[in-house]
Amino acid sequence: METINAEIFTLTYGSMVRQLIADYEDVEEVNKQLDKMGYSIGQRLIDEFLAKSKTQRCADFRDAAEKIAKVGFRMFLNVTAAVTGWNAEGTECSLILEDNPLADFVELPEQLAGLKYSNLLCGVIRGALEMVNMEVECTFVRDVLQGDDANEMRLKLLSSSTETYPFKDE
Amino acid sequence: MSATPAAKRAVAESCIDYLTLELVNNYRRQLQGPPLQAALDAIGERVGRQLVERYAKERPPLLEQLDVMKFICKEFWAEVFRKSVDNLRTNHRGTFVLRDTQFRWLTRLSQNQMPPQVGQPLPAPIPKAELAADYLVLPCAIVRGALAGLGLEASVTADATSLPQVDFTVVVRQVAAR
Amino acid sequence: MPCFTFYIFNRKGACQYYHEWQRLKPVRSGAGSQEEDFKLMFGLFWSMRALSSALDPKNPAKQQMGAPQRIGDGCSFNSFRTSAYKLHFLESPSGLKFVLTTDPSVGSLAEALQYIYASLFVELVAKNPLYTPGEPFLFEPFSAALNKYMRTLGLLS
Repeated sequence: METINAEIFTLTYGSMVRQLIADYEDVEEVNKQLDKMGYSIGQRLIDEFLAKSKTQRCADFRDAAEKIAKVGFRMFLNVTAAVTGWNAEGTECSLILEDNPLADFVELPEQLAGLKYSNLLCGVIRGALEMVNMEVECTFVRDVLQGDDANEMRLKLLSSSTETYPFKDE
Repeated sequence: MSATPAAKRAVAESCIDYLTLELVNNYRRQLQGPPLQAALDAIGERVGRQLVERYAKERPPLLEQLDVMKFICKEFWAEVFRKSVDNLRTNHRGTFVLRDTQFRWLTRLSQNQMPPQVGQPLPAPIPKAELAADYLVLPCAIVRGALAGLGLEASVTADATSLPQVDFTVVVRQVAAR
Repeated sequence: MPCFTFYIFNRKGACQYYHEWQRLKPVRSGAGSQEEDFKLMFGLFWSMRALSSALDPKNPAKQQMGAPQRIGDGCSFNSFRTSAYKLHFLESPSGLKFVLTTDPSVGSLAEALQYIYASLFVELVAKNPLYTPGEPFLFEPFSAALNKYMRTLGLLS
């Protein structure tokens, strides 16, 4: 992968979040916009991830979560995430991001307590997994920028669909 | 501030590709809401200012207009757009044309010539300048912000008639107070 | 050793891209409709995969023919050869299907299809701001790069 100095990316992201806050004047709406943009990015980025990591298949949700954490974050953001907190059914887990490049240079004022600053990442994961037929919910539950001790995204598998023959048999 | 100094941090180039394209596409999709141009202008200008502020710490101040332009064409361009400007021309009265023969941010832009339905004729070609217009707002604003940060109030426009070659025209309005 | 046709299908079965280098009677000029051709091609590799999975002697879990599968489940096929042509096939975990037909004498193109996916599709299609994921496309730079690559492989003069 070609790499760049993270600065331009981080600053553009920050400036974009600031603009969304100015334009929408509603933190919830900003969170939604970030998720939506991430979702579109995820749908595009999935093929770069699969093709360049030479991933042959995503066997199941557990495997997909590990790949996102270990390979995906490394490939694009040059960091890795830890996968923890599995529920008994294996349908929910947490991604712990120790080092979040999006948050470099960022300090949030108190009135933005509800802002999920890095929510784009949740959208990306949701969009990318949908392309491999896994419908998930992904939300930030802890954020260092909001004073928490870690960055944690909670990932929940809603459904995992099979392929269906798209045409009617004649 | 994180433990690793961000100046040395690297991310995949794709990150900025995906972010900038989605930034334009997302604002475009909103039928109601903030206009594309204004939002991208504001986003880019802030980024340009912040970037030069960071670079300026490491170098002596640039006093002459031409020195500022040379800095933009070489160091700044290489940092942000991955290569230097190929050619800089000026009329010596405050107008500069910066030619990038392979403008990195738009190398992949091309028209979808798929007809709306199979068997229909190909759609008419759209001029490249028109295709690129929305995607050039952000880079122009970044350059304008950088110039402002270096004390030059200027307008920046781009001509993408010969994409992937892009000509950026900088017209310096006045020397802003530093 | 010529190449004949090339298809990209999305995971919903729609053909996103089609190119023919050589086809005795081009689809356009009436070898059935183009839609019909796409549908037949999709049905062909869909059935091939279902059949080869159902007959897999190494799979202890007996797959019922036609049982719903997830992308990448069971075994897949890379190519098959007839007396007239060879069909090369690559499916990505995102359900994109790359199909290339060539002269039967051509060797394995598994790596070539992977290259087309990773370097041509990703770089020139997925990253083109004017591409909408899943939608049909016709981008000149992609077509040009594909032709060039076919020439590099010696499949096109």
